[in-house]
Amino acid sequence: MKSRWPVIERAKPLLGTTVHIRVGGLDQPRAHAAIDAGFAAVCAVQAAMSFHDPQSEVSRLNRMAHLGAVAVSPHTYAVLARAAAIADKSNGAFDITTAPALVARGHLPRPQGAPEPDPYASGHDIILLPGHYVRFARPLWIDLGGIAKGYAVDSAIDALRRFQPRQAVVNAGGDLRVFGPACERIGLDREDGDPAVVELADGALASSAARRNGPHIGCSEPGFVSVAAPSCADADALTKVVLALGRQAAACLSAFAAHAFTAAPHRDWQTIGA
Amino acid sequence: MQTRFLLLPVAALTISVPAQATVYLSVAQAQALMFPGQTLSAAPLTLTDAQAAQIEDRSGVNVLSRQLHAWKASDGGWFIADQVVGKHEFIPIALAIDGHGAVKDIEILEYREAYGDEVRNPLWRGQFTGKTAAAKLQLTGDIQNISGATLSCKHITDGVRRLLVTYEIALASH
Repeated sequence: MKSRWPVIERAKPLLGTTVHIRVGGLDQPRAHAAIDAGFAAVCAVQAAMSFHDPQSEVSRLNRMAHLGAVAVSPHTYAVLARAAAIADKSNGAFDITTAPALVARGHLPRPQGAPEPDPYASGHDIILLPGHYVRFARPLWIDLGGIAKGYAVDSAIDALRRFQPRQAVVNAGGDLRVFGPACERIGLDREDGDPAVVELADGALASSAARRNGPHIGCSEPGFVSVAAPSCADADALTKVVLALGRQAAACLSAFAAHAFTAAPHRDWQTIGA
Repeated sequence: MQTRFLLLPVAALTISVPAQATVYLSVAQAQALMFPGQTLSAAPLTLTDAQAAQIEDRSGVNVLSRQLHAWKASDGGWFIADQVVGKHEFIPIALAIDGHGAVKDIEILEYREAYGDEVRNPLWRGQFTGKTAAAKLQLTGDIQNISGATLSCKHITDGVRRLLVTYEIALASH
């Protein structure tokens, strides 16, 4: 961020990681008010979409949406709609219904009070109805962990922008979005090879590293992926598509105006979809 | 959206310079943010052996310092400035507790986690090769953002749990 503008940054533990919000070009009181609004937006997304919180809308859907339509907030509805669009363009490589497998592997806790999921359930069983109602055609468990962190970042940027900063960055544990005229430099922190830097203006970047028996279902091989996209929700979700499909993800990335930087362990960086 | 990808050459990795801490908030600034308009009275205390043992037992987290930097707010809440053990470093945090002993707010006062030391260091200079350009580029600015393996905030939430137990054992009766 340019040093001629005042720059203020704060961080809180949220979304299971550390969320940093940095704003440039606002005086202290306005900067802190903007940052407060950004964190409040992140908290609202966390409260609505956390798989771990029995009071969240996701938990409520997992318990009851197979019994009848459940009303959700516009945020949750928007994320479900976006997840469906990405699932469609990736031929199911992005899938928010893999929670049962994640629970079986111990990566997620069993949802309290939820019915046994139908083993044949898929994203096609999530029915989005007018008025922000959602119904499940079969018992199933959804987990928005592959897209909600990115959506929280977008939500925070939207809240911050109302204060009209010159520049802003929201970074939730490596899923980040940049607002403003200046390019931000982002170090891609890869454990097993040459690090790289992405210069990004007015967009989002999310990264995922996959390991064998890790939490990424359907991942074809271990590796590191960073996706640049206009929104952080898309960047977040598309990292999983690239981990699953590798080079075959190119068409899906293009459909969302995104591209990816990938590296297999100890191998060179490659780009997909640029 | 505009992006450019730059690869760091292997030679740059041999440079080792200590990572710098980024100060976000002073204790006074955190107090003003977390208890706006209130008066905070300093109430520091030193934990006894018995208290430290009780805190470790109930929270499951080691007590590394017996010094408790606490302030009582006019509404009955408490402000505690403390350090938690991160992956590589100590991380100073501020915890606001409301009058009922529940967490009101948490702020990280300084961020020192140097994952990707070489990449994060703002003093570092190196030669870069652009992905398609033949010319070498000189990086003159900072890399102020990191994207990579997600670090859990468990160390911070463990520290907060220790401080909540500390409040119950050492502060709640004040």
